[in-house]
Amino acid sequence: MVVRSLTAAGAVAVLGIGLTACSSSSSTTTTTAPPGGSLSGGNSSYLSADLKAPAGTLLAAGSTFVQPFFNSAFYSYTGKNPGLKVNYQGVGSGTGITDFQSGTVDFAASDVPMSASDLAKVPASSGPVVQIPDILGGVSISYDLPGVTKQLKFDAPTLAGIFDGSIKTWNASQIKALNPGVSLPSNAITPEVRADSSGTTYIFTDYLTTAAPSVWTLGAAKTIAWPSTAVQTPKNSGVAASIKSTPYSIGYVELDYAIANHFTYAAIKNAAGSFVTPSPATVAADADQKPTISPTNFSIVNEPGTASYPIAGYSWAILLEHQTSATIGAQVVKLLDWTTHTGGGQDLAASLYYVALPPAIQNQNRTELLTVTGPNGAALLTK
Amino acid sequence: MTTATVTGTGGRRVAGRRRSVLSDRAYRGGLAACVLLFVALVGWFVVAIVIQARPAFSTLGFSWIFQKTWDPTHNHFGLLPAILGTLETTAIAMVLAVPIGLGTALSLAYLIPVRLRPPLSTAVELLAAVPSVVYGLWGLIALAPIWRSTVEPFLSSVLGWTSLFNGPNSGNGLLLAGCILFVMVLPTMVAISRDVLAVVPVEQVEGAMALGATRWQTLRKVVLRDARTGILGAFTLATGRALGETVAVALVIGNSPYLAHSLKSTAVTIPALIVNSFGEATGTFRSALFGAALVLLVIGMVVNSVARLLVRRTARTGVASVAVA
Amino acid sequence: MSTLVLDASTDPILERRRRVQSAATASLARRKLASRVALGVCWLALAIAVVPLVAVIAYVVTKGLPAWSSDFFVHSTVPEGVPGGGIFNAIAGTLVIGAVATGATVPFGVACGLFLAESEGRLAAAVRFVADVMTGMPSITVGIFGYIAIVLTTGSYSGLAGAFAIGIIMLPIVTRAAETAIRGVPVTVSEAGFALGARRSTVARRVVLPTALPGVITGVLLAIARGVGETAPLLFTIFGSQYLEWNPTQPMDAIPFVVYTNSSQPYPDLVQIAWGAALLLVAAVLVLNIGSRLLAAWLRRERA
Repeated sequence: MVVRSLTAAGAVAVLGIGLTACSSSSSTTTTTAPPGGSLSGGNSSYLSADLKAPAGTLLAAGSTFVQPFFNSAFYSYTGKNPGLKVNYQGVGSGTGITDFQSGTVDFAASDVPMSASDLAKVPASSGPVVQIPDILGGVSISYDLPGVTKQLKFDAPTLAGIFDGSIKTWNASQIKALNPGVSLPSNAITPEVRADSSGTTYIFTDYLTTAAPSVWTLGAAKTIAWPSTAVQTPKNSGVAASIKSTPYSIGYVELDYAIANHFTYAAIKNAAGSFVTPSPATVAADADQKPTISPTNFSIVNEPGTASYPIAGYSWAILLEHQTSATIGAQVVKLLDWTTHTGGGQDLAASLYYVALPPAIQNQNRTELLTVTGPNGAALLTK
Repeated sequence: MTTATVTGTGGRRVAGRRRSVLSDRAYRGGLAACVLLFVALVGWFVVAIVIQARPAFSTLGFSWIFQKTWDPTHNHFGLLPAILGTLETTAIAMVLAVPIGLGTALSLAYLIPVRLRPPLSTAVELLAAVPSVVYGLWGLIALAPIWRSTVEPFLSSVLGWTSLFNGPNSGNGLLLAGCILFVMVLPTMVAISRDVLAVVPVEQVEGAMALGATRWQTLRKVVLRDARTGILGAFTLATGRALGETVAVALVIGNSPYLAHSLKSTAVTIPALIVNSFGEATGTFRSALFGAALVLLVIGMVVNSVARLLVRRTARTGVASVAVA
Repeated sequence: MSTLVLDASTDPILERRRRVQSAATASLARRKLASRVALGVCWLALAIAVVPLVAVIAYVVTKGLPAWSSDFFVHSTVPEGVPGGGIFNAIAGTLVIGAVATGATVPFGVACGLFLAESEGRLAAAVRFVADVMTGMPSITVGIFGYIAIVLTTGSYSGLAGAFAIGIIMLPIVTRAAETAIRGVPVTVSEAGFALGARRSTVARRVVLPTALPGVITGVLLAIARGVGETAPLLFTIFGSQYLEWNPTQPMDAIPFVVYTNSSQPYPDLVQIAWGAALLLVAAVLVLNIGSRLLAAWLRRERA
């Protein structure tokens, strides 16, 4: 019952709605600063169509990880498309999904795609759910080791031992073996981890489960039963602050955070055996190794390739395939299409220390978004 | 014309002038309506939580509250570590807050020169204005290193014999959380106590001094005794704040869901548990969190009842007697 | 009574008087010392209380003051990388939520406090107990209740839901503090009112409340300070917004919300906005405090 054909009448209708809506804008923002980002290059044809979304207000909620990126991208978008207000709040992936299930928000964002049990809670009348990656990010292993200036190297089994409590001191043999020539102190290691449910935890433990399956037994999940020696702090910023104020500590911190705050982070051994420092380039190299991903096959940790940084993951935007309101549907679809493409929102990723989606994923997103239909069954995006 | 009966607090009949019984009744009725509305609101609150918590109790029974393993991924919801953590942090906070708060209140009410009283009182009350996330960050960034390097080693060396201070100096943990809570409840303790101490009838104070009591004897035997119920009110509000504080504690306590073996350990409290897990919890886990909230309610009731009992036992009637409810 | 004494050194009365005098002197010395020590402890307590006060306020000021600029107060939120942002939308939100919560809570709470102060019965005891226990509820649970009661039933986040949750937190504080203050009014004062033939409501309104006003104001102030600074009740109720919103039925921002969300941002300038907002809260409560003291003093003078 999904009408996938895009008739000329449908295209004209959508454009008509967009143009008439644009003329009746009532923006009440008091900001005067100019928007950032600019359109450039090849995708400008459909990107300019994306900017013609109808006026109104969108509510969206979910991942805290993408919040800075979304805020920036949506700000830029609404600067070019006044009349549309987009309110995205980083309430947490789980709450975002709950809000999406209950219909309180127009679209959601989550670091881990909705699982089968999550999808089961969406009312059957709402129809299928579309999930697309919206940005790429890495997870750094940051540490606070007084007196050691050289960058440390770790591999998955060593990290597994540190975070499950079996490796207790900095001068343990496994750490020494990876870092010859570095004089490591004998102090105890304080692992710093997340107290709250977190996609970052998921990506990190997914890496440990994939790359060190015989050593890491605590599983890959958003919440882990950490050992009693681990200090748990809520939110990425909490973990970061805790690392900074606790000497001899080590923890996993989102890369954008680590870069923005000049953390000391380690080089991690990837599947090819090289020790790679996390950066937008090395994260992108890792993602490029897996050009086809889906909500059921989305892990990109420990990909092959010498330049790949192994601890990385996508964040996902979630929307209904059958939109019940033509206005809101057009707004959501065009906003997300613009946000997830180069020339649109993805141009803002680098300045915020995120990593832009690989072109293959961008194209995949476009295909997915073209399946989203309005109440009349016609696709909402102009092809 | 019938003379209306006015029952004042002395229960006396004031005869002679007609007055409107209706308006007195309306007044009392209006106040009673407010109070009943208040009770209804609280009732609604409790019922809503009980409804949300019920699935956990029907699935898991009641014993899970007292078990010590908290591992939601394997459906273990032992609340004992959180319960003990809540009690321990609150205890540390109140052990510090009651003497220091009362001493400060006494100073502000009786010892400080009159001119300095308003600004100093305002300054202490300002502590109540600082948002809890700021307290948490201040504790995590500014205090934790000091606790780790100075305070905890000092306490371990001086009070180590109590075996309350074993283990490594972690900075984060029960002690730091308790100290942060102390600072957070101090303004409540001080402000309300000070007000109560200040309205003790001056004749009583002067009478005591006229009898030859020293300043301290007056304060102790007249002022503090007279203000006892008010101080109980301050203690109650302060303890309530300490029991329920969420964000600040979650940032500094380490959120380690294991039984703490010393005051320096990382631990967890019920509110911290709730705020950390609620967003993602579903099904039985979510119900268990509501169950934890109910347990906290019960803890609050127990603490309150014990405090009232202690005050009632030492209650005596006085000229300006304040009934202990 | 006097007795003729022939030999001073063996007179039992004089002997007794000497003994009592020396005992009294010794007792006085002892009590004076105890008093000095105890008062010293009180001064020490004050000194100890001042230390964290200075430390926290200094911390907030040093971190927050750099954020204060005209943009900060006049402009709404902008994302990272865009200059000229501020928290005007959060200020507006706090004003709206604070006004709604205070307007609902204060009259209600003072009325309940009046009832409790005047009553001795079982209902009063039960209500007092309930109010005390409510102050111990974690603010996060109150916020979740607001979510269940208002957000889920109306289908949307709103400032009203936040005000509802904040009001629940403020209500027991106002009630209890009002009751404590009203009880502090000497019973002689209200009885004088009754003796003059006044109705209960008149006595309450014109005699008791004005006398108790300083204490009531303190309680209301503490409640407002707690209410506007609370974060957890807002987390699941007001949603937040970077847009200016005066309509309480819509999602909106609030100052403690800004502190909470911005303090967890990766970018140092956004974190600084969080501290600036925290400083604003402290400053606002300071102004509120001083203002209400002046108000109470003026009221007292007017009455007299």
